[in-house]
Amino acid sequence: MKKAQFWLWTASLATYAFLYIPLAVVVLFSFNDSVLNAEWVGFTTRWYVKLLHDDDMLHAAANSLLIALVSSSVSTVLGAMAGLAMHRYRPRWLPFLVLTPVAMPEILLGVSLLLFFRQVLDLSLGLFSILAAHITFSIGFVAVIVRARLAGMDESIFEAARDLGATPWATFHRVTLPLIMPALVAGFLMAFTLSIDDFVITFFVAGVGVNTLPLQIYSMIKVAVTPEVNAVSTLLMALTLTLILVASRFAPDVLKGRS
Amino acid sequence: MSEPRTQPSGLTKWVVTLPPTIFLLAFFLVPALIVVLAGFRETGEFGGLAPLPQLSLDAYRFLGGDVIYLEIFARSFLVAALTTLICIVLAYPLAWLIARSPKQRRDFLVLLVILPFASNFLVRIYAWIMLLGPVNLLYTPFAVIVGMVYAHLPFMVLPLYTNLEKHDPALLEAAQDLGANAWTRFWRVTFPLSLPGIFSGSALVFIPVLGMFAVPELLGGTGDILIGNLIKEQFLENRDWPLGSALSIMLTICVLLLAGLTAWGSKRGLHGTEAVT
Amino acid sequence: MKSPSYQRRLLAVVLPALLLLASLPARAADTLYLYNWNNYISEDTVQRFEAHCRCRLKQDYYSDNEEMLAKLEAGAVGYDVLVPTGNAVESLVRRNALREIDRARLPNLRNIKREFLDTWFDPGNRYSVPYATSVTLIGFNANKMQELGLPTDSWALIFEPKHLKKIKGRVTVLNSQRELMAAAMRYLGHSVQEHDPARWEEAKQVILRAKPYWAAFSNSTYIKDLAIGTIWVAHGYSNDMWRAQQDAAAAKRPFAIGFATPKEGAVLAVDNFVLHKSGRRPDLAHQFIDFMLAGENAADVSNLIGAGNPNGAATPRILPEIAANPGIFPPPAELQRLEMLRDFDPKLRRTLSRMWTEIKVR
Repeated sequence: MKKAQFWLWTASLATYAFLYIPLAVVVLFSFNDSVLNAEWVGFTTRWYVKLLHDDDMLHAAANSLLIALVSSSVSTVLGAMAGLAMHRYRPRWLPFLVLTPVAMPEILLGVSLLLFFRQVLDLSLGLFSILAAHITFSIGFVAVIVRARLAGMDESIFEAARDLGATPWATFHRVTLPLIMPALVAGFLMAFTLSIDDFVITFFVAGVGVNTLPLQIYSMIKVAVTPEVNAVSTLLMALTLTLILVASRFAPDVLKGRS
Repeated sequence: MSEPRTQPSGLTKWVVTLPPTIFLLAFFLVPALIVVLAGFRETGEFGGLAPLPQLSLDAYRFLGGDVIYLEIFARSFLVAALTTLICIVLAYPLAWLIARSPKQRRDFLVLLVILPFASNFLVRIYAWIMLLGPVNLLYTPFAVIVGMVYAHLPFMVLPLYTNLEKHDPALLEAAQDLGANAWTRFWRVTFPLSLPGIFSGSALVFIPVLGMFAVPELLGGTGDILIGNLIKEQFLENRDWPLGSALSIMLTICVLLLAGLTAWGSKRGLHGTEAVT
Repeated sequence: MKSPSYQRRLLAVVLPALLLLASLPARAADTLYLYNWNNYISEDTVQRFEAHCRCRLKQDYYSDNEEMLAKLEAGAVGYDVLVPTGNAVESLVRRNALREIDRARLPNLRNIKREFLDTWFDPGNRYSVPYATSVTLIGFNANKMQELGLPTDSWALIFEPKHLKKIKGRVTVLNSQRELMAAAMRYLGHSVQEHDPARWEEAKQVILRAKPYWAAFSNSTYIKDLAIGTIWVAHGYSNDMWRAQQDAAAAKRPFAIGFATPKEGAVLAVDNFVLHKSGRRPDLAHQFIDFMLAGENAADVSNLIGAGNPNGAATPRILPEIAANPGIFPPPAELQRLEMLRDFDPKLRRTLSRMWTEIKVR
């Protein structure tokens, strides 16, 4: 038994190391005083200073934040509706509509939305197309979280409210909403993280002048890899890290909700 | 769990159901149908699609004309399968360790698995460019697999952990009392019970890997093209939309089949669990 | 019930985010959108132009004409200025995607050397103004090549298995159907403007034979890979090779990067400014082009980027060592062996694009 325990720990620590070492290297080399960034030369913070003066990067960050806020707000509302509907009315078609975009490889959603915006709406790509795309893939995550929350609840509360003469709206506002609030917060944060992290779908539907942070990073990786990429990655890690920590405080089950 | 008794109020039902349904019809189902249609159209003179009345099987004929496309699908499946397998092997000890830890430590250990994912997806790939470049492993199939595993590992750890956490330790004790050694206890009790977790984790890893283009593009070499790259190239380089659409449709069919298979598999797995617990 | 506190906490998350958003610099009203090759305009030049016009120049990058055309076809709307190569200009003109240039607003157009005006791809320069030239050639790690005794003056270096054996996994080629197939065509002694599919088929075979030895298809990362030393031979653009050379020298790498035009001939690219119809600021676009045509600004693309220069007023300002570099400014004898790519009819284009798909997957 002791021996088994030893191997279990060894294997697990090795896996943790596999998860963390690459990121540690990225962070470390964001302080590297070398343009080529091939080997360690010396310590500097100049890449962070450069980042603060990189207008393209700041605009991309602003776009990413704006898109993430709007899309996660809208998808929280729509996702909550879908979650409620799936739980209460069980329409046959809804789970398919809600869950397939989540289950599909992202590239398929990206391609289909590109064709859709181009062929049907004849719309120039831009903020709107990115928002629509992000909402489409976020609804499912919110809906699943909300439905899971409702499933764990005692239905008699709602009946009691109705028996006491509450209108549907009052029942929703006074009973349902407070009860699913943790799920909404968790769903919102998850949608936010997904949106700010998304690369593949945005890559297909982004238009001129509406770069997001991941797109900006992609073009930097492909074109000119300086430690500035490491610096922006480090900052982005710090941001999402904060979000995840907040999320785990609000609703620990959100972490499992994803699976 | 009590079956919710729906007290009618038909209006509420539609107020709740319609908005998400309409949104998803417009931005998911209709676009998906357009891809189906686009696969049967011809390339326009400058790329894009030729005017509508012309329909043809040209794109599918091209795909069917050469076994090489079958090979690309096979290669993508192989990469996805290998990635999934490695994820299972890496995730299992970790998930088990977490599930066996004292309760107050569990959340922290789970968080440790998720935290690396606080970094952007591209950053995670970039990290491997930095690591593999100096040791001459960049642009190899090895790099692609490492990148794929790295990007998807938590999707295997979390469902596995959720599953293993629920196992009743009494079962293992009973097995021990019956004289089973550690090895037998694992293969005869723990492993079969964890199959649903493995199934759902596999679906969460296998399917995204199947469509991934960024990992082969940034880490892979000339021989590491997967379906995702092929699709992306038809739209963003070759301007051959019908071919890109046809490839997308074939990928969709594969994914739907797989999803059906896992749903069936985990349902069976679940029944198995119920029978034991 | 805990809900009010949840609501308050949600607000506590969202509000600061909104404030942060509001505090970010507002988008400049005067912005010129430029869709440009990567590594094709220096930071210095951009800054000087922004000061000159009191506007912002916002760039997106491509590393292959096909990529640019595909992106436009896929609905990219709003680029004011593009920098297509001759054949892509031809294609855009035929597509009716370009805005005519107003010569009255380009007094500096007279600086362009006569041989670069009135070209086959745009007779009378109605749509395009030449900006810079480059040669698609071979860049290499000079020390390694000498050590291994490999020829650096022939396409054989990237196409012949007997050479490639020594540098397996150390070679990248352009991820560009037109450029890579053109290189193979020159190696075979054919024209890059060939119309016979059978000849292109031969080129495909040459490529497929060499492919197992190559590390990757790369359009831009080879600059860094060469400078770091992970890649020893790269098929790419002369200005990118020059950049790799400078970077390696600046980082004091223990080797030197060289580049040379293969003796079998290569592709010469003349890249031009054009105005896309969807651009919203033709006024700024003209201002930008005229600014770039002024001698001191035009010289930057040679001195800081390492590209050839069609601008006569820039010639006296170009550093002598750059002007004398045959990879950047091909001498007359070499010019004879260079060809420009041409746009093809849809049928041949489709045949070639499917050959390319085959090359990529096989």
